Amino acid sequence: MFSETAKKELEEIRLKYPNARAALLPALYLAQREFGWLSPEAYEAVSGILGVPKAIARGVGTFYAMYKHKPMGRNIVQLCTNVSCMILGAERLVDFLKNKYGLEPGGTSPDGRFSLVIMECIGACGTAPAMLVNDDFFENLTEKYIEEILEKYK
Amino acid sequence: MIKVTINGKEIELEKAVTVLEAAKSAGIKIPTLCWHQQLEKYGGCRLCLVEVEKMPRLQTACTLMVTDGMVVRTETEAIANVRRSVLEFLLINHPLDCPYCDKAGECELQDLVEKYGARAGRFTEEKRKVPESLEDPVLVRNMERCVVCTRCVRMCEGVQGAAALGVISRGGHSHIEPFSGGKFECEYCGNCVSVCPVGAIMSRLHRHSYRPWQLVSETETICPYCGVGCTLVAQVRDDVIKRVVPRIGTPVNNGLLCSRGRFGYEFVGSKERLTSPLIRKNGVLEESTWEEAISLVAKKLGEIKAKHGSDSIAGIASPRCTNEDNYVFQKFMRVTIGTNNIDSTARTGYAGAQAFIENIFGQGSTANLIPGLANSDVVLVAGGDPTAVNPILGLQIRACARRAGSILTIGHVKGLRHYSPVELRPALFRETLALEGIVSALRNKKGLPGSNQILEAKLKDINTTPQEAAGACGVAEKDFAVFVDRLSGAATPAIVIGKEIVQSSGGNYKLFLLAAINYLVNGRIYLLSERANEQGLLDMGCAPDLLPGYRPLAYAEFRKRYETAWKTAIPERPGLSIFGMIDAAKQGSLKAMYVMGENPVYNLPNSRDVEAALQKVDFLVVQDIFLTETAKLADVVLPALSWSEKSGTFTNMERRIQRVRKAVSREGMEDWRIIAEVARNMASKFHYTGAEEVFAEISKVSPLYRDLAYEEIEKGQSIYPYKGEPLRSTVEEISVDKGAGVVAASRFYLRLERPLFHSGTLSRKAAALVNIYSGALARLSTADAASLGVKDGDVVRVSTKIGSLELPVAVDGAVEQSVVMLTNNFEGKGAFCLAEYAVDPVTGAPVIDCNAVMIEKVER
Ligand code: SF4
Ligand code: SF4
Ligand code: SF4
Ligand code: FES
Ligand code: FES
Repeated sequence: MFSETAKKELEEIRLKYPNARAALLPALYLAQREFGWLSPEAYEAVSGILGVPKAIARGVGTFYAMYKHKPMGRNIVQLCTNVSCMILGAERLVDFLKNKYGLEPGGTSPDGRFSLVIMECIGACGTAPAMLVNDDFFENLTEKYIEEILEKYK
Repeated sequence: MIKVTINGKEIELEKAVTVLEAAKSAGIKIPTLCWHQQLEKYGGCRLCLVEVEKMPRLQTACTLMVTDGMVVRTETEAIANVRRSVLEFLLINHPLDCPYCDKAGECELQDLVEKYGARAGRFTEEKRKVPESLEDPVLVRNMERCVVCTRCVRMCEGVQGAAALGVISRGGHSHIEPFSGGKFECEYCGNCVSVCPVGAIMSRLHRHSYRPWQLVSETETICPYCGVGCTLVAQVRDDVIKRVVPRIGTPVNNGLLCSRGRFGYEFVGSKERLTSPLIRKNGVLEESTWEEAISLVAKKLGEIKAKHGSDSIAGIASPRCTNEDNYVFQKFMRVTIGTNNIDSTARTGYAGAQAFIENIFGQGSTANLIPGLANSDVVLVAGGDPTAVNPILGLQIRACARRAGSILTIGHVKGLRHYSPVELRPALFRETLALEGIVSALRNKKGLPGSNQILEAKLKDINTTPQEAAGACGVAEKDFAVFVDRLSGAATPAIVIGKEIVQSSGGNYKLFLLAAINYLVNGRIYLLSERANEQGLLDMGCAPDLLPGYRPLAYAEFRKRYETAWKTAIPERPGLSIFGMIDAAKQGSLKAMYVMGENPVYNLPNSRDVEAALQKVDFLVVQDIFLTETAKLADVVLPALSWSEKSGTFTNMERRIQRVRKAVSREGMEDWRIIAEVARNMASKFHYTGAEEVFAEISKVSPLYRDLAYEEIEKGQSIYPYKGEPLRSTVEEISVDKGAGVVAASRFYLRLERPLFHSGTLSRKAAALVNIYSGALARLSTADAASLGVKDGDVVRVSTKIGSLELPVAVDGAVEQSVVMLTNNFEGKGAFCLAEYAVDPVTGAPVIDCNAVMIEKVER
């Protein structure tokens, strides 16, 4: 179920668009925030409020890789391992995350604190290796620097 | 005039159409895959690419509109190459398991690949693996075969209006899934199966038991379930119906079917079908020969007639039987037995409502074309869910909404939720207030048309204020005003009336109010009809006060006509209604009953009481295809042929006479033939060689069918009033009995669920429908379930004054508060064993909305 504030937010979002379907993407982001991921319940909640059939909402949601399609940790680490990052040691960083936090690519740390998503170039080749933690961007990564960064995310 | 040249051929067109359509009109075939004539254009598959002069790239013929002077080529080397490549791409992920796939032989992909020769392709990478989904009982999804043409999605959303399917994921991983990812949990119309060009969504019925080319015979016939009368094609192998499909271009359903029509045919081949006549000997039903059974029936009926008089015998006709069956049956009752004691379950709503409305607006005024609903600008729905009772009619209402018509609903109309800009949901027993409010608001807005003084005199004093009406529905006054405004502004309004209203207290007054609305907005009325030949049986005179041709028995001139034709006197007194028969049986004045293709012991309210009544008659004959609850009580049971084993005609709710044709064979006799045999044994001259001869007699004696023959029906020339004349209407008086009005006094009331997936007790024997909806449930609103502390699957005891049932709960957001909805379809669990009724003094329909209910949780 959506919280009352989330319901209000959704209604406001809806008003910004000419029709309910157009509001689906931000509505799904909101649902993801509320439910942690795009669970069947999340789709049903969005569908119930927007009046967009749930099968259609799910179709739209699953098109986008950047939604969470399964339960994930509280913080999402998106680490690039494409060419530039790889050359500058991204693979070592992957190992580091595994050893230090028990974090496998595509997986979630046992304490539910982090999930790791491997990215294919996030447009920071000049300052590789690079990653996103939630919506924050970090570059020129080293093991030590990653550790420092992740300390801030509980 | 637009001139285009396609493949060197000059084509002149009246209006702009797509290149595909233009080519088609000139007999040039362009290959397609995502295009489908029933669906919105999509332009996704790229198989229809053509060269157009002065256009840089190849164009999709299915979306490109022709312009004057356009020069198009559809078959060049370059195009063939591109088509081959497109197919090669499609085959990257296609399993090419044609030897195992049921679609092979009618697969569009297979045909295209055969023609353009892409074959196995050059890709050596591994194919996408998606396990076949057998999670659903009726539909199987094989997503390795899916070419993502989205036809199924467009069908489900854009035509069916169920929107149960979506394209999941993207790119090479795109595929189709229902929301759950497994079970469809949808309306199970199977229309997605019809449009899927490959074997990606298919029916599980008779899976792997036939190849398309082995379906050697196909028979166009009419659906046996509801009054819409959809045409369906029964495809047969080895004398077994393997599949039922719709056909594009048929008048009512045009390429669509509902779950019952498509998946409900399996009862025909049920092992429980009766095979031999049964005679009760020492209290048990034993098999007998036809001779013995028929002569026993004739002898017994003869004795009872001689001893107690003709009126001690009554007959119940069947809305599932053909016109021919019903005509012969009523003739048997009137001529051989000599009574007008003939009626049917049409009395439970349809017959009385029709008589009431047609008394006001004239005979035939409820005979309106179903597809016309889509073109109405306003459709008002009251008293039921058309998408469940008459699903294909329901689709026309949804289509109306898509064409920007307004749908206005009164009550809880689940299948049209979100369609109505304002849904009026009157509180329990407050429906009258809502309707009165609409009538007085419309009258004040539009004034009285002045053409029907009797009606106007009656509606002058209705002065319910918008405030009261809005209050009764729990909506704001301004929303109520929106509702009324839409209605009053309508140019081509239609009013769809379901049985719920007819069977509610004050039903005749509510019908009057709906008639008044219809009068004020100058609309047309549709009466939902639950059975395939409900209209036909009335037209055949299977009513205590009607002769064939819907001619009132009360008029001497009509009686005379039939007396001449049948060379016998017809009693003047009207016979007993079906409820009158039950009462007479209880009192002991009814001695014998002949029931044809009906199950009154289950299908009439207060069913246990009906059972007790029928046990009291001295001699009960039941003619049926199954040993129903009623047949179990019979003294003689006569097995009949089913709908697909005989020929004849059905008349649908539009009063379109349509041909029912024999699709499979079976030993036995049609209902009419059995009755004719009994009649002959009682010294009546009933000599017909076949159904066509019966129909010839009908068209000779009934003014409504004058000279109509099977030949014309086959050409589709059989819409009311056929060749004959309808009766001129004479509105003498409109009798209305408001009744006392009911005040809700109980925490819960019983309501009947009329499910999309079932119909009477016939659908019980259709395995697929049972798999979709397998047992009786007690449906409760979310709030009531919470207050009772029950959730889905918990068992509750539902009790009324006359009985109780233990049923699993289904929490349903679409159910209104303070009611429990029960079905009357499943063996031993019918709502009607809990429902007492009173007969509406005007329509004669049973009023069943006052049954107070107690609900307790059963702890396990
Ligand atoms: S069966 Fe009908 S309702 Fe169900 S998914 Fe197919 S088209 Fe949609
Ligand atoms: S399931 Fe069939 S109709 Fe639906 S997208 Fe796939 S191939 Fe097309
Ligand atoms: S709408 Fe009625 S007639 Fe048509 S397929 Fe369904 S049950 Fe049969
Ligand atoms: S390769 Fe890592 S950011 Fe481009
Ligand atoms: S048929 Fe034209 S693009 Fe598919």
